Amino acid sequence: MRISIQHLTKVFPSRTKGGKAVHAVEDMNIEIPSGQLVGLLGPSGCGKSTTLFMLSGLETATSGKILFDDQDVTTLAAEKRGVGLVFQNYALYPHMTVQQNIRFPLDNMRINREEGNARALDAARLVQIEDLMARKPHELSGGQQQRVAIARALVKMPNVLLLDEPLSNLDARLRLQTREEIKRIQRTTGITTVFVTHDQEEAMSICDIMVVMKLGVVQQIGAPQHIYDDPNNLFVANFLGTPPINIFKGKIQGGKAYIGEEAVGDAPYGDREVYVGIRPEGFIYNPQGALTLNVDHIEVMGRDKSVVSTHESSTKPTVRSIIDSDVALPEGAEQLKFDIKPYKLFLFDAETEERLR
Amino acid sequence: MMEENDNIGTPQEPPKKHNKFVQYFINLGARIKGWFVDKYTAVKDFFCGLFHKKTEEEKALEYSGPQLSRGEKFRRGLKSQSGWLFVAPALVLMAVFTFYPIIAAFVNSFKQSYSGMTGKFNGWGIDNFVRVLKGDTGTGGADFVQCLVNTLILTFISVPLSTLLALLISVALNSIKRVQKAYQTILFLPYLTNALAMGAVFATFFKIIGTQNNTETVGLVNIVLGWFGVDPIDWVGLRSPHWQIGSLSIPWAKYVVTIIYEVWSGLPFKILILFSAMQSINKQYYDAAKVDGASRWTVLWHITAPMIMPQISYLLVTGIMGGMKQYSAIVGLFGVTMGQDYDMGTMVGYLYNYIELGQTGYAFAGSLILFVIIMIITYFNNKITKKRTTYR
Repeated sequence: MRISIQHLTKVFPSRTKGGKAVHAVEDMNIEIPSGQLVGLLGPSGCGKSTTLFMLSGLETATSGKILFDDQDVTTLAAEKRGVGLVFQNYALYPHMTVQQNIRFPLDNMRINREEGNARALDAARLVQIEDLMARKPHELSGGQQQRVAIARALVKMPNVLLLDEPLSNLDARLRLQTREEIKRIQRTTGITTVFVTHDQEEAMSICDIMVVMKLGVVQQIGAPQHIYDDPNNLFVANFLGTPPINIFKGKIQGGKAYIGEEAVGDAPYGDREVYVGIRPEGFIYNPQGALTLNVDHIEVMGRDKSVVSTHESSTKPTVRSIIDSDVALPEGAEQLKFDIKPYKLFLFDAETEERLR
Repeated sequence: MMEENDNIGTPQEPPKKHNKFVQYFINLGARIKGWFVDKYTAVKDFFCGLFHKKTEEEKALEYSGPQLSRGEKFRRGLKSQSGWLFVAPALVLMAVFTFYPIIAAFVNSFKQSYSGMTGKFNGWGIDNFVRVLKGDTGTGGADFVQCLVNTLILTFISVPLSTLLALLISVALNSIKRVQKAYQTILFLPYLTNALAMGAVFATFFKIIGTQNNTETVGLVNIVLGWFGVDPIDWVGLRSPHWQIGSLSIPWAKYVVTIIYEVWSGLPFKILILFSAMQSINKQYYDAAKVDGASRWTVLWHITAPMIMPQISYLLVTGIMGGMKQYSAIVGLFGVTMGQDYDMGTMVGYLYNYIELGQTGYAFAGSLILFVIIMIITYFNNKITKKRTTYR
C-alpha cells in the first residue's frame, strides 16, 4: 500500500479561552512507496505520534489529505482503513488470553472460529509466541507483550502497520533484539510500516525512509545514511548520530571557514557568522593539523579511541573526536592538532541555522 | 526467539512532580501510614514475645544497660503498649453492642418460650427453630417461609436488574461530554432521599384510589396505564392481585412496585461506582478496539464490563447482602403490617414483627437462620466473583 500525505495539518484548539491553539503538525508532505519501513523521528512533542494517529484514523486531520494508494482516507473511520496499530503500552486486554487478544480483530470481522484460530496461530508463529497462546498478558514479559501486540495488529492482514514508540518500554538488550525482529517481520509480510520513535539510533538502524520532525514541521526526509551525511539544518545534524556532532561557533572569511583563528576548511560562500559542525569521526590526527583542541582525557574503546577535549568556541562543554586505535597519540599531551575531513564538516548559517551548500 | 529473563512487564513511570499543596497531603498520608505500620510491628513483636520462651543467650543479649527499678520498668512497659489504650474505646463499644448481642442471640434462640421481659424460659431446645420454620408461632405474626421467599425473589431480581441498568446508564453517561456533571448530579439525587419518604411517594403513585377535592381518582401509574387501555390495577392496596401456591402467596403486583422502587433507589450508588470505575479505564483500550473494528456492543461486553468486573461484583455482593436485610422500603410502601397479613414481609421485617409481639425467641431463631442463609449466599458469591474478577 502506497501512502501519500499531502499538506497534512493538525491544530488542537486551545483549552482555555483566548489561549493559543497548538499546531501539532504543519503542512506535512510525504510520499511513502509500498512495502517500505518508515520512521518518524523527532523529540517529544514534535507531532510524530499525532501524525501516526491521523494515519490510523483515531485523530482527524484539520486540513490536508491522506491517500492509501489512490483512495482518499482522510475522513474514513479508523475501522474501515484496514490499519494495524501497535500502541506504546501495547493496550492488550488484560482479561483475555493471548489467543483471544490476537483473535479480537477477527471476531469483530465475524470470521468463524476455526479460521480465526488458524489465522491467530499464523500471526503468533510470525512473531514466535505460539507457545504462549493460553497465557494472559500479565503472565508475559514486556518483550512478549510487544509481540502479542504486533500479532494482533498483523492478524487482520492490514494495508498499513503503524507502531507508536514500539521499543520505548523495553530494556536496552531487548530493544536491539526487537528492532531486528520488527525489520524481519516487515520484510516477511511486505506491509508498508510506519513507526514513531524519539531514538535516532533506533530509527537509523531499521528504517528505509526516515522523516525527521521538529515542532510539527518536517525537517528532512530520506534514507537514514543520506540524512546523516547530508543534513539540511543544524537541528537535523545535532539530532542524528551517537556520539553527537560537535558544534563550534565560527565564521567564514574569504572563502575559508574559521573556528577561532584557525581555518578548518573551504567555504565558497559569502562572509558571515556560522556554526561549524564536525562529526566525531571527522577528525584526523596530524601534528601540523588545522584545529587545536585542549585534551581533557582519552577514552579507549578497543576498536577506536575517543579524545575528549575542550575548545573555547565549542557550543557544548566537551568536544569528542573518534580516531582509530592504531593511530599513536603523544603521551600526556595537553593539546592535539587535527585535520578535518571535508565531507564530515558542515556549515550552518548562524541566524537561520540552515545548512550552507 | 524466546526471551528467558526479560521481565520488564509494564513500564515504570518516573515519580510525578506535585505542587506543594498536593505534596503536603502525600507526605501526610505517608506519615500516617508509617505510624500504623510501626504500631502493627510493635503489636506483632509483643505477641510473638509473649509466646516465645527466651533462651539464656537471648536473655543475656536482651538488655545490657543499667538495671532499672521495678517502677521504671512498669512505666516503660506501659508506654510501649500505649496503643491498646487508643483502641480500647472502640473495643469496649464493639464488645457491648456487637459481640455480646451476637452471642446472646445465639444462646437465647435455644431458650424455649423465652420472655424478653422477665428473662424466664422453659428449658433448652430447638423448639423455636421448629416453630419458625413450620410457621406455627400461634401469634398471627408474619410467616417465615413467606418472608424468606419474598426476600429472595425481591433481592435476586432487583439487584442484578439495577446493576445492569446502572452499567448501561454509566456507559451512556461516560459517552456524553457536555452536560455530564449535571446528569451525574441528577442521577445521584435519589441517594440523598429518605427511604420512608420515597416509599410513601411511590405508594401514592401506584395507589388505585385517592381523593382530590372529594373526587375519587386513581394514582399516576394507573392513569398512564389507562392511556393504553389497561384497567386500573390495585398495586399496593387490599385488592392487590396475587397468585396462591399452597399456603404461599405471590403478590406479583406488590413485587413489581417493590422491585421498581428497589431498582430506582439502588441506581445512584451503583452508577457512581461504575461510572468512576469506567473513567479510570485507559483510553488506549478503546482506541485499540476502534482500530480493530469493534462495535459498541462488543466494546461494552468484551472490554468495559470485564475491565470493571471487580466493581460490578462488589455491587452484586453488597447489593445481595443489603437486599437480604431490606425492611425500610417495605414499610415505606406497605406500612408496618407489610402488606396484607404480612404477605410482603421480609426477613428483617419478620424479626421486627416478633420483637414487637414480645416473642423474642422466634426473632432470635429467625435471625440465626438469616445469618446462616447470608453466610451461604456470601460464600457462593465470593466463589463465583473470584473466578470472574481475578484477571490480574
